[in-house]
Amino acid sequence: MKTALSTPLPRNERVHGRQIAFAAAFLLPISKFLEVPSLLAQYAAGDLLVPALLHFLLQSLVLAALLYAATRSETPLIERLHNALGKWTIAVYIFFGIYFLYAAVIPLLDLDKFVYAAFFDTEPTFFSFGLFFLLSAFICTKGLKAVGRSADLCLFLFVIPFLALIVMSLWETDFSHLLPLFGTKFGDTMSAFTYTTPQFSDAVLLLPLISCSSVDKKDAKKIMTGYWIGALCVLTFLAVFFGTYSSLAPREHYAFAKIAQYFPALAVVGRIDLIFIYLLTVVLLFYTCLPLQYATDLFARTLKTNRRTWIAAALSLLGFLFFLFANHFYNSLYAFIAGIPLIFWLIADLIPLLCLLLPANDKKNKPSSSPNSSNANVPFKRKKENDYA
Amino acid sequence: MSTRRSLKTLKNNENPSANKNTQITHSVCVNTITENLEKNLTSIKKILPAEDILTYSFETADNTACAIVYADGMVNKQLLGDLIARPLSKLDLRPENQQKTKNEGGRVASNSKKSDKNNSLSLQYLIEKIEKTALFPELKQKTKLQDIVKEILDGNSLLLVDGAPVGFIVGAKFIPVRAVIEPPTDVAIKGPREGFIEDIKTNMALLRKRLKTPDLRFDSVKIGKRSDTLVSVCYLSGTCDETVKEEVKKKLQDIQIDCIPDSSYIATLLAPRKHSIFQNFGTTEKPDILAAKLSEGRIGILVDGSPIVLTAPFLLTENLQSSEDYFVSPFMATIFRLLRFISVLIAVFLPAFYVSAQLFKMQLLPLGLTLTIASSVRELPLSPSLEMFLVLLLLEVLKEASIRMPKYVGMSLSVVGALVLGETAVSAGFLSTPAIIIVAFSGICLYTIPNFVETGSILRWLFLLIAGSVGPFGIVLLAAFFLYYMITSDAFGAPILAPFSPLVTHDLRDTVIKSGIRELSQRPQLMRSKNKTRLRLSYDGEKTSDPKQDQTPEN
Repeated sequence: MKTALSTPLPRNERVHGRQIAFAAAFLLPISKFLEVPSLLAQYAAGDLLVPALLHFLLQSLVLAALLYAATRSETPLIERLHNALGKWTIAVYIFFGIYFLYAAVIPLLDLDKFVYAAFFDTEPTFFSFGLFFLLSAFICTKGLKAVGRSADLCLFLFVIPFLALIVMSLWETDFSHLLPLFGTKFGDTMSAFTYTTPQFSDAVLLLPLISCSSVDKKDAKKIMTGYWIGALCVLTFLAVFFGTYSSLAPREHYAFAKIAQYFPALAVVGRIDLIFIYLLTVVLLFYTCLPLQYATDLFARTLKTNRRTWIAAALSLLGFLFFLFANHFYNSLYAFIAGIPLIFWLIADLIPLLCLLLPANDKKNKPSSSPNSSNANVPFKRKKENDYA
Repeated sequence: MSTRRSLKTLKNNENPSANKNTQITHSVCVNTITENLEKNLTSIKKILPAEDILTYSFETADNTACAIVYADGMVNKQLLGDLIARPLSKLDLRPENQQKTKNEGGRVASNSKKSDKNNSLSLQYLIEKIEKTALFPELKQKTKLQDIVKEILDGNSLLLVDGAPVGFIVGAKFIPVRAVIEPPTDVAIKGPREGFIEDIKTNMALLRKRLKTPDLRFDSVKIGKRSDTLVSVCYLSGTCDETVKEEVKKKLQDIQIDCIPDSSYIATLLAPRKHSIFQNFGTTEKPDILAAKLSEGRIGILVDGSPIVLTAPFLLTENLQSSEDYFVSPFMATIFRLLRFISVLIAVFLPAFYVSAQLFKMQLLPLGLTLTIASSVRELPLSPSLEMFLVLLLLEVLKEASIRMPKYVGMSLSVVGALVLGETAVSAGFLSTPAIIIVAFSGICLYTIPNFVETGSILRWLFLLIAGSVGPFGIVLLAAFFLYYMITSDAFGAPILAPFSPLVTHDLRDTVIKSGIRELSQRPQLMRSKNKTRLRLSYDGEKTSDPKQDQTPEN
């Protein structure tokens, strides 16, 4: 049997620095376009950019720490973790596996409601959304390399539709609604910050990718730049959102699906903005599957198997059954998870910082211990030539 | 059946521990050519009893019996007559001095060594005499019956001379082939019009004509227990990725099959993704395209009997490319490619979106169009998805019938299909006009990329089915599924969706957007070619590449 522990990092699971940067820039921001804008507007009103900016600053610090830990050595973080903890690495895998399952709930709830808002005129059956779990089962069978490649694809799937939607939305946007700056009470701003913690705690979503790659300083810069490009996209969207809806903003849930509908040309050609929204939904689907994919990967490592199919199927079935139940308690569940931001601060922000404690036992040109790798005697070093991952 | 039995017997004869029955057969059917012509002919006839294997017997001037064995319809009989039979019939194979030597040798020489020497001298003289008389460019000697049988079946002729323990293989092959014409599947308004044909040798020559370099190599292998089809892997040495070449060659050698009627069999058998609806290999019928692909670092697979050549590694963006794109300005080429890209999206998604707009999301259509459609479908007895399903089915049936139907009936089919079925179905209220327009438009759009027709057609059905049941969300889910499938599908070291995912910015220059020839001075990175440069312009003072990067002197 192929053992995951004896092969902490199969060579074919390598993710390129560019791909992590793209994931930060074009995959992560999508989660903040759904319920987040109305939540922020509800508490922070015209100052909705402030809590968002605070989140991004906090997450950047976490990300910077992770990147620093990763760049300290050529050995990937996961191998160093394995070297430091030995058999106890399994505990870390299980812990983060469970966390990713927990973190997947809010994106799933968001996706569910967004789908009903953007794709259907009438109330569809639950099973219309249930098909998502077939997709997630398929995606979860793929490794981290697939995440990297999906991030590459998101460059095209995100940038063009996002720009198109923003341009179309600007028609009815009045940025003066954002004024005066800092007009909201500090307490309300902090409430907005607190209640949107689950959606913004996404530096940890880059951790599996970073830990599986040999990140150098150049890559670290790329990733950080990517993260701030994503942040800029979110801040732009939030500004346009509040500029368009103003005082109505708190009631405009999933406004992302309708923000461009006031563009005059649409009256003639129909809702072509929906085409762009559907393209962004593909990115959203990839994003929603991401925590489940990580959980599958970690459980596969825990069970010391490379056969993810059964784990992916089991997790997706679990997700489906959970949703069958949770669909009726949407608001309570949402409030419950968003109401305990401490879990996210602790697990998504603080615990990953322990990576800084990992010894930088750089064993340069040390042959890979992977028995199942096709390049078993090739050192884990980034191949510069023709390496497109 | 009998041929197989005889071949089996031959094989057994090679084994010294053959059983008694085999030994009996051995007396009749030998595995090498003997000096006895009658015995040789009997052996060959035993292995090749088919009626189309003919024997032409004649005698030389000194009454030595000769025979030519050939497969009827596969040889140039006139050439055989003029260059082999006629000169040999005038030839005296036993001149006096040789005869004398032989006779003296028989009388005087008591020791066997001298006799053997004389015999070999005589044989050598005989062979030389035949070779000198038959001034044929392709003349080779074979002694093993198994090889000789293969040559005859391959279209070559066998010349046997009584007393000579060798068979002369005469390359007078004349297999009927069709002319080199423009392939119907890959028509170009500008650019070369030659197309491959079914004969592999002609195809090799067509390629060689365009790539006059010693680096062009053909590694051939015969596949098919019964068809013995010649399959040739062609590549530019030093330019192609050795790993891909070796992988293909290894896989080809592992194929055990009865018959290879077409290159599509090879494509299926070599496919790394066996159940994929997407292509694993590129295909082309034009030598200029194949030459260009080989120059990029790909490899080609030519199959005897098939005008379609396979290329690997294959990227999905290749479908957007047409040979004409490289003969017009890059701006025009980009416009054409964008047109093709949009067309294929329309072909796959339009019927699905039309159905889902009617059933789940009316906002997808402009209000005016919604009202028009509403008035058209008001009294229809069928649901939108069933209606679209039927119209699409009608299109597929018409398409299938028009390909198979004789040309003369084709005209009436068009009338029946387009006018009678379409018009009357609308008048009778079975179908609506918008549905027919959408399917017709989708059908036309799909043919902008001929190589994508099969895949596109399957995708269109799948998207229609899911759109009818789940609506636009189903379409997005299925699209996400296929995108994820494609980004994780690698064939021969190249991901199908590259250079978009994984992103290879250098290779984006020849995808949907076509750069000028100067910008394409480097070979695609995805092909992992050692020799990176394909264009170097010294006259305009531009440095197009670092010469140190190139490992081979010729670029």
